[in-house]
Amino acid sequence: MELILQELLNGLSIGSVYAIFALGYTLVYSILGIINLAHGAIFTLGAYFTYTLMGGSFGFNGLLANAAIPVKLPFFLALILGSMLAGLVGVLVERIAFQPLRRQSADPLLTVVSSLGVAVVLVNLIQYLVGAESYTFPANTFGNIPPAFNFGNPDHPIPIRSVQIIIFAVSAVFVLLLTYFINLTKYGKAIQAIAEDAVTASLLGINTDRLTMLTFFISSFLAGLAGTLVASSVSIPGPYFGIAFGLRGLAVVVLGGLGSIPGAVLGGLVIGLVEAFVPGEFSGYKDAVAFAILFIMLVVRPQGLLGKQFVQKV
Amino acid sequence: MSEFFSTYGSLIVSMVLGALLGLSLYLPLMTGQLSLASPGFYALGGYIAAILSTKVFNQSSHEFSIFYLLLEMGIAGIVCGLLGIAVGIPTLRLRGIYLAIATIAFGEVLRVVSLNLEITGGAVGIFGIPQPFPNQISYLWVALPLLIVSMLILYRLERIRVGRAFIAIREDELVAGAMGVNPTYYKILAFTLGAILAGVVGAISAHFLNTWNARQGTFDASIIYLTFVLIGGSRTFVGPVLGGIVFTALPEILRNLAQTNGLPDWLAHFLQDGRLIIFGLLIVTGTIFFPQGIVTPNIFNIFNIFTRKSKKI
Repeated sequence: MELILQELLNGLSIGSVYAIFALGYTLVYSILGIINLAHGAIFTLGAYFTYTLMGGSFGFNGLLANAAIPVKLPFFLALILGSMLAGLVGVLVERIAFQPLRRQSADPLLTVVSSLGVAVVLVNLIQYLVGAESYTFPANTFGNIPPAFNFGNPDHPIPIRSVQIIIFAVSAVFVLLLTYFINLTKYGKAIQAIAEDAVTASLLGINTDRLTMLTFFISSFLAGLAGTLVASSVSIPGPYFGIAFGLRGLAVVVLGGLGSIPGAVLGGLVIGLVEAFVPGEFSGYKDAVAFAILFIMLVVRPQGLLGKQFVQKV
Repeated sequence: MSEFFSTYGSLIVSMVLGALLGLSLYLPLMTGQLSLASPGFYALGGYIAAILSTKVFNQSSHEFSIFYLLLEMGIAGIVCGLLGIAVGIPTLRLRGIYLAIATIAFGEVLRVVSLNLEITGGAVGIFGIPQPFPNQISYLWVALPLLIVSMLILYRLERIRVGRAFIAIREDELVAGAMGVNPTYYKILAFTLGAILAGVVGAISAHFLNTWNARQGTFDASIIYLTFVLIGGSRTFVGPVLGGIVFTALPEILRNLAQTNGLPDWLAHFLQDGRLIIFGLLIVTGTIFFPQGIVTPNIFNIFNIFTRKSKKI
């Protein structure tokens, strides 16, 4: 019983990170119809930004050996600032790698390839600058709260790591904020209009270019946030860790339905929970679970759980 | 001359193998399908060769026979071909980005499975794969004929009914279907041919590299092979061949460049360690400025680059 509860909370915690990460994919997909494969690299970048802003220093490999900024920001401030920096990188990526292709009205697959190129550049740039070693956030990252809370009674302790509660809470807050933003603000409605039909939206006086940039900012902000949350729970294992996470994020969006915001949240929680309940003796196969789900989903119901049936037009 | 071969032998063989891998990615792309499954089949072919040669064929103590290598290449090709059909039938109903995602998932599942199975040696992989040749350059005896045969086949393929059907599907699948071309059949055919080629190349590579592990079929590998095709050229088989050759040699070229005298320190350092950054930048600029790759069928009409309207892979 204790174990089930623990696994459940583990699953919810990682699942909520998947959810905010996948929301980034889905936002960009819904307005541009492309998958931004650099999303996983931005996720990594967010973790490194936050680590730097918290005053962490880097190892002796890479160009920035032993560098550290002189200030040490508290975790939550660093989290927001680091994610915003990741968001700005996202805007830059959009400008450099996506906008020229959009101007040429190129095949969407070319944009996917271009985003792959961006991912390669970002990941290797990180490795070039700070080396490939793993970095751990300082022990008192969250201030002076105990490392775990007991959710059972003293006889049957059900310890839950406080970092997981924080991850879940932060993710939930941002999912709610994003839902509010998309559905109830002017900019959110404009983004929805672009997703519906970009040409009509621009004819109605919506500045599609600027809102595309805003979407990329939000999407990359969420990626950076997710990256920091995952890294604060374990560590930053190296520049490549976002790529694997990014690929699993693809499974989440496809499961929920590409372009669907509730779908991304649902998909994230489902994949998080399924991964948490993989029995210990098959733990080596845990990484494959998301892809197996993805594969089955693509074959059985490519539009995802909550996605719209797509119709091919000539 | 022999000194040249002993220094660059392994690089030359790698270049030929790179060209072959470029072709294996080019085949599905002929029908407009962006498939990233080739590295998966490549890894599978390598595992088949590695397991067969270390566990099954390795009874005799003397030199490993080349016929066993050819047999392994055949088996790897058949297994990858069958798996290609099995994977292709469900996934090729998907279009565009969905197919790319499905093939990424396929590769990742293969990778995780090979990391966990005992027969594939887990994370360590399989090493001490027997050598059919006394030195590395001799692998050209297998790799070069394979490349030439593949290029001849592709040269013909682009000019017969099947190849024209591929290209028709790439240009517009719905129109091709309306004209009586069966898109599903031809897409699966192209995908399977690519899988067979990747598997056969994997079998050679396993012997050539002497060791084989789960790192061979990763997502990174698929990006690098994709560069071969997309920058080399995705409209004619010459593109991936040249792309594979040039991009496999690129790290070596960059290393030599870095040793030129008079370069500033940071540039020399960047050329040596920033190889993958350069790769990535090439992918981004290549897709923007050369959407069909550098080698196109109308390469001699350079000015077309500036006037061309349709931008497709």
